[in-house]
Parts: sequence; C-alpha cells; structure tokens
Amino acid sequence: MEQGTQGSVVLRRNGNGESQGEEEKVVDLSGQVHLLPCSIKFNGPSSVSQYFKPKSTGIESEGLRTQEAYFRGRKLQGASIPIPDGYSGFVLGKKSLGKRKASDNSDGSSNCWEMNAKYKSITYWNHDSLPSQDDAFLRCFHWLSVAKSMHEPATPGDLVSASAALEKMN
Amino acid sequence: MGSEREAAIPEWASEPCIMGIDEAGRGPVLGPMVYGCLYCARSYQNTLSSLNFADSKTLKEEKREELFENLKADESIGWAVDVIDPRELSAKMLKKRKINLNEISHDSAMGLVTKVLNMGVLLTEVYVDTVGDAEKYRAKLSDRFPAVKFVVAKKADSLYPVVSGASIVAKVTRDRALREWVLEETAENLHKDFGSGYPGDPNTKAWLEHHKHFIFGFPSLVRFSWGTCTPYFKDIAEVLWESDEMDEDGSSTANGKRQMKLSSFGVTTSKRKIEEIESSGKGRCKFFLARKLEQVTQF
Repeated sequence: MEQGTQGSVVLRRNGNGESQGEEEKVVDLSGQVHLLPCSIKFNGPSSVSQYFKPKSTGIESEGLRTQEAYFRGRKLQGASIPIPDGYSGFVLGKKSLGKRKASDNSDGSSNCWEMNAKYKSITYWNHDSLPSQDDAFLRCFHWLSVAKSMHEPATPGDLVSASAALEKMN
Repeated sequence: MGSEREAAIPEWASEPCIMGIDEAGRGPVLGPMVYGCLYCARSYQNTLSSLNFADSKTLKEEKREELFENLKADESIGWAVDVIDPRELSAKMLKKRKINLNEISHDSAMGLVTKVLNMGVLLTEVYVDTVGDAEKYRAKLSDRFPAVKFVVAKKADSLYPVVSGASIVAKVTRDRALREWVLEETAENLHKDFGSGYPGDPNTKAWLEHHKHFIFGFPSLVRFSWGTCTPYFKDIAEVLWESDEMDEDGSSTANGKRQMKLSSFGVTTSKRKIEEIESSGKGRCKFFLARKLEQVTQF
C-alpha cells in the first residue's frame, strides 16, 4: 500500500440524519454532465447551457447515438452513456466544516466529502473522431464486470470445477 | 451549396460554356467564407462583358445587390454558391490533422465545378481567382478535371467579367448571410454590430472585445483559428488539447501535417503534459493501462 489517507464520502445530503425527506431533493444532473477531451484550467460555474449546444447528428456509430458540439472552435463528437445499473454518478464537494471542531482538521485540509448532485448518464466527447466502443472511456466500464466476478463469493461448485481444471493442467 | 436554378437545365448548357469562380470573406475573423461561381455559354461572353460586373469590391453594396438581382433574372446565366460555416472553418483548421485555408478553398472551388458538371453543363473553360500559387493550383484543378481548361490568376475578378460576376454572387451571398446571421449562443448582451469582420475594422474589434467569454472564448460565429483571436485568448481560461501538445514538441505542424503522429502508434512523446490532462494507468497491469484507469488516493 502507498501512504494511507483517511477520508469519508457521504452519499446523502444532510448525512447527519436530520430529515429523511431531504433526500428526495437531490439535484439530478443526468444529461448535463460532459466529459471533454481537453483540460480547462478553471474550476467554477460558467454559463454552459448558453454556449455549449450539443446537437444530435442522427448518425449511429457502433450502437452509439452520436452528437456534435463545438468548443473553442473545435468540433467535438460525442455520445450520451447511461451509468450502468447498480452504479450512480456523483458530484462530490468538500464537506462544510461548520459543525466540526477545529482539532479534527489541524491542517485545514479535510478529506471528507459529501454529495452535491448525482447523475445517471454522462456525455463524453472526442475531438475529431466518432465515438467508438474502443474509446478508453467506454472500456473503463469493463472493470465493473471484472470486479463483480472477482468479488463474488466462490460456491462449492466453483471450487470443484477449479480444482478439476488444475488437475488437468498438471 | 445552393442555387435557385437547379431544376431545369437551360438549352445553352450543352454548348461549350465558360465559368468564373471567386470567393468572398476569406480574410475576416468572423462569419462564413463563400465561394461563388457564374457560368454561361461561350457565345454569351461578349454580352456578359457589357453587363458592367466590375470586381465586387469596387462596387457599392446597393449596386452589387442590384447586379445580383439582374444576373439571377438573366436566363442566359447560371450560378451557384458554397457557404462555408465559420464553425466548419475553425474545426478544420484546428483538427488533429490540420487543414489549411488554401486546402479548404480548393475543395470548395472543386466542389462547385463538380456540381455544375453534374448538372449537365458543358464546361470547357473555368477562370479561377486565387490568393496562393496560381500554377500549382491550376495543375491541381487540371489533374482533377482533365476535360476542362483552367485559367488561374491573382486578381482574376478584375480581369475576366465571368469572374467579376462570380465575385458579385459570392460577396452578396456573404453579406446577406452575415446580415441574417442568428447567433447560436443564447447569452444575454450579445449583439450583431460586428462591422465588416475584417481584423482592422474598429467595430469588429469592439465586438470581439465585448463578446469575449472567459470559458467559451467567443460565439461560434468567430473563426477561432484566426491569428486575430490569439491576443484575446491571453486573458481567458487556458484550455489544453492533446493535439496542441503534440505541436509544441514539433512532432506535427505545418509541413509535417500528413505525417502519422507518434500517438497513433501508442507512443506519447510529451508524457508529462498529457498526464496533466488525463489519467494514464501508468505502472499498473495492462488491463488498467489500456483503459487509462488509475487508483486515486488523494483528490
């Protein structure tokens, strides 16, 4: 292990359990989260919907319904991807430290996060190429099924077939 | 690309025909670039000379509009235009494999020749105005259309009436397109007093200054690839693109634009910079490396 760090992520607004009803008011950003093929050296709000105007192209590429948009003079081609079942996208923010004692974060850099919004789809964009199943972003999702198989408890049947396979190899 | 006379092919089109091609809006930092062509039977050439199409730039706007309406009504003349959207110009010039303005211009002119030939017009001579090397351009055109004789010249719009006519078609179309332009951006405080669009025009300068946006740069009416924009980009948020990173260390750019990039072979030459942009999965097993998945412990 590398140097360990402690932190927490609270995936519920008002995670301290004040009122259950608040949970329904979680901001849903589905369809408004964009992953661009560039690095914008700025963090903060901007008038995205007034300037960034994705349009559906009507072209389907490898089962993906493609869109196009322009950013800083470049043509982007993208596709909207649903977050796989059982998963969700979250926008996290550093937890406000109001109620905590100063002694909890002596260096001032808390590693406690809370959810500000969630999303069930994300639009990723390529510069100059049609979205494809070979794009690194889509291939990332392969990890989810690999992780699932790896972490599933082994059944007695699995063990029998595994040892049978081992014997064959020997 | 459009023309109002596509349906019926006039009888004279089967006679040997001449055509002129000219452009409008090559220099401006905003708006579309328009290629226009005008064609007629060679036997109509003398009449054409009497129609007073001088080079469109020397005419007043109202006079150009009037001449355009006249030539549209003239049944012995055909015309067509190709309007190249500023978004398309910027996008092509900022592609990973950059397409320069001359190449875009040549493609547009050749598109017009193809279109008119496909309509069934017997083109024998085509006169083309050019900014770049005339002889190279002529060779390129002749190679593509061996049956047509091309005359390529600088300032052809003031030498050949058929090119002067084409310049009116192009210039009037560009002016109208700008006048009727609907800004795609829906932010408040945007207006359309952008002047001529030429970089030296005080109205254009003022418009650019007023429409500069910290994140998005400019409305998409502006040609982002123009050098005119560069000074404005100094005060706005920096944006890094993988294609630009490659330019900095000289593995692509101008003369090498047809070369395959190292990145096409999975070799990254400016590692440090690329890593700033995206995660790399560096040092992990192949599965993660190929998917650029890395473990983040501190964020």
